[in-house]
Amino acid sequence: MQYKEKEIKKGIKFHKISTDKFKTNLIAVFLTTKLTRENVTKNALISTILRRGSKNMNTQEEISKQMEEMYGAGFDCGLDKTGDNQVLKFYIENINDEFIPKHNENMLKSAIEKLLEIVFNPYTENAEFKKEYVEQEKNNIKQKIEGKIDNKARYALNRCIEEMYKDEPFGLFKFGYIEDLEGIDAKNLYEYYQNLIKNCKIDIFVSGIVPDNIEQLIEENENIAKLQERQADYVIPAITKKETNQKENIVTESMEVTQGKLVLGLDINLENEDQKYDALLYNSILGGTANSKMFQNVREKAHLAYVASSSYSRQKSNIFINCGIEIANYEKALEIVKKQIEDMKNGEFTEDDIQNAKKGIISTIDLIDDEQDTGITYYFGQELSAHKIGPDEYKEKVEKIQKEDIIKIANAISINTIYFLKD
Amino acid sequence: MQVIENLKVKEKVYKEKLENGLTVMIIPKLGMKKKYMIWGTHYGSLENEFVVPGEEEKTVVPNGVAHFLEHKMFEQENGTNSLDVLTALGVEANAYTTNDHTAYLFECTDNFYEAMDELMDYVQHPYFTDENVEKEKGIIGQEIMMYDDYPEWKVYLNAINAMYHECPVKIDIVGTIETISKIDKEVLYKCYNTFYNPSNMVMVICGDFKPDEILEEVKKRLIDKKSNGEIKRIYPEEPETIVQERIEQKLEVSMPLYTIGIKDIVADNCNKNKTEIVKKHIAIEIILNLILGRSSRLFQELYKEGTIFAGPGLSYEFTNIYAHILIDGQSNNPEKVYEEFKKEVKNFKENGINEEDFERIRKMIYGGYVKEYNDVTDISRMFLADYFKGINSFDYLDEIESVSKEYTEQVLKQVFKEDKMVLSIVG
Repeated sequence: MQYKEKEIKKGIKFHKISTDKFKTNLIAVFLTTKLTRENVTKNALISTILRRGSKNMNTQEEISKQMEEMYGAGFDCGLDKTGDNQVLKFYIENINDEFIPKHNENMLKSAIEKLLEIVFNPYTENAEFKKEYVEQEKNNIKQKIEGKIDNKARYALNRCIEEMYKDEPFGLFKFGYIEDLEGIDAKNLYEYYQNLIKNCKIDIFVSGIVPDNIEQLIEENENIAKLQERQADYVIPAITKKETNQKENIVTESMEVTQGKLVLGLDINLENEDQKYDALLYNSILGGTANSKMFQNVREKAHLAYVASSSYSRQKSNIFINCGIEIANYEKALEIVKKQIEDMKNGEFTEDDIQNAKKGIISTIDLIDDEQDTGITYYFGQELSAHKIGPDEYKEKVEKIQKEDIIKIANAISINTIYFLKD
Repeated sequence: MQVIENLKVKEKVYKEKLENGLTVMIIPKLGMKKKYMIWGTHYGSLENEFVVPGEEEKTVVPNGVAHFLEHKMFEQENGTNSLDVLTALGVEANAYTTNDHTAYLFECTDNFYEAMDELMDYVQHPYFTDENVEKEKGIIGQEIMMYDDYPEWKVYLNAINAMYHECPVKIDIVGTIETISKIDKEVLYKCYNTFYNPSNMVMVICGDFKPDEILEEVKKRLIDKKSNGEIKRIYPEEPETIVQERIEQKLEVSMPLYTIGIKDIVADNCNKNKTEIVKKHIAIEIILNLILGRSSRLFQELYKEGTIFAGPGLSYEFTNIYAHILIDGQSNNPEKVYEEFKKEVKNFKENGINEEDFERIRKMIYGGYVKEYNDVTDISRMFLADYFKGINSFDYLDEIESVSKEYTEQVLKQVFKEDKMVLSIVG
């Protein structure tokens, strides 16, 4: 596998991942923009409106038919909250020409052209989005917003984040807010879209058996050629001092649940960028694997949970602990969870724990080569970081972490919020 | 070793049935760092009544034993837990239980042979005690409660219950708090000794391996165990009719979830040879996509009027004792989706399938099959699951061309029958 990047214009980057390991080519376009209360709902709408029709494929039906015709090229849109940015994601996955019964098609070229057209040349009527599409997609987004209660574990996590980041961008819900929808129409949404395309950070990825002239093909594409250079309007994560010594914020809510969902949001006070790797390792020992303190103590020893884990948010320097527990066991579970955090501070973990955690992290880095989407996710993650590093350097940084580094992180951690969802 | 090659995806499967009855399938993926190993037994939640080889009397066990056994297999006599040992090697280990099989697996980039030692050791050496069985009841109890909070699981299970009268597909794989309370170590050992015999198991390995060498490595790690002969599985008689057309449950969700089920006749599948079942499966996938896929008239109509917001899930599930189609999604008006679907089925039956649409959807399905060969995980799991159905996964790539429009129209008439349809709603 070979990775190369090229700035096409200021703020617009092309990333090439050449690999012959897959039956498919994966093409992705990411639009990254600052997450704000003002625009969050509009961005969510843009991510769905664009799949409704483009200049040459006016309807969703037409787009679907074209994709089916290309041996089921998979076209997909997504929306992510990555730190203080909102990322609109568009993908096409198509099979390599080598595996098509008739060899006379250049499917990669066709797939790239179609994806770029969908993102950068939407279907419009009278210089605005089609009214009917906007109304339908407003309804669609409304359902997505209301749907946040459906998955109770995810809901609990989102609520914990919301509590921790009140009035801050990261506390926003990625699909936006119902009250915003009323003010959005085909005209102002299209104006907003033009503005977005003019100012957002644009990353284009192509992974697969990529021809040599791919850069040229992208650069000369009519929809790319018409884009202007820009000072991309997005947030590069910085290490910021978090308020410590604050009292834990305890939030309990009721909903129709059988099992209680306990989420703890932890703040990590980092001193430098490299400590992010220490924090990653810390999380792995605390709750990242089946060997972790959470899994062993909450699940295996106390039998209080089936799910007992933690996850690390690199962008915002947080750790989130998740447990699904019997509602009556709240106090008991919380006590055990807190003890694990304390034990970490006191260095109560072994050299083996560290080695195991390192092996686990390094093996996930090794997968970058063998999973097409993992490769793109890794390089895009690096693209959004303050310091970009390749997989080998990443592994080296993990390798050299010492026990005292992890203890230091443990002592830079404080519980910000304890959220409990019960019946 | 038997070698089966597929020229369409340019892959090969090496297959060997060992003396003790174990089937091993090796799929080399040169140049891949990622390696995958999965060991499965043809034993899932369906097997609650059976005759142990060599015994006369039938054995009846509580619901949820196969899944409970899966949890307990990791515990070792020396006090270690194999999941911990595997995780410590930096490999991603797991296990799962379905209706018709249970599987133990790991994926890794390094330490493959060390992980293989551990996997093959723990699957061959159960260690159950009264104490460790009791302890697991707490953990599985929480797993059961977690599923209680999943509306998608409820709507599925209710649809199954509306279709089937007796078939054990009705039983929740994890069992209930009540049924698992009756599980003890004797039951677990009995089920283990019956179903975890090499002759009832299959192993799939995928990655950058030389087939001969890896087969030797497997053989080295097998303990001496004889094939124990055929296990008689007893299933209740299942009528062809459905139980009830509609089933509804209240749960707090933003928009109702629905599952439309169509019960198929199993005998039709059992009497056919396996390539016929593959053809039928392909035809059903084509029909479902023609009727409710993203480019279909009905999907577009329902989407535009706001009845549905995303493409529904479309699938055909089958084993030797059940077969059904499932269509699932979310809608403010599931009744409308159901009624319009029935109307569209009727339309298709009366007017036939459009040739151009048929060709396009067939191409799409073909591309979908090719994509399955990207990742060692997907490949291994597909070959394992298909094996327990008696199917070689390559057959899907080979048979698709022979699925004609006329054949598909015939399947449409045979399978998509109104009196076999159910609608399950949660909301």
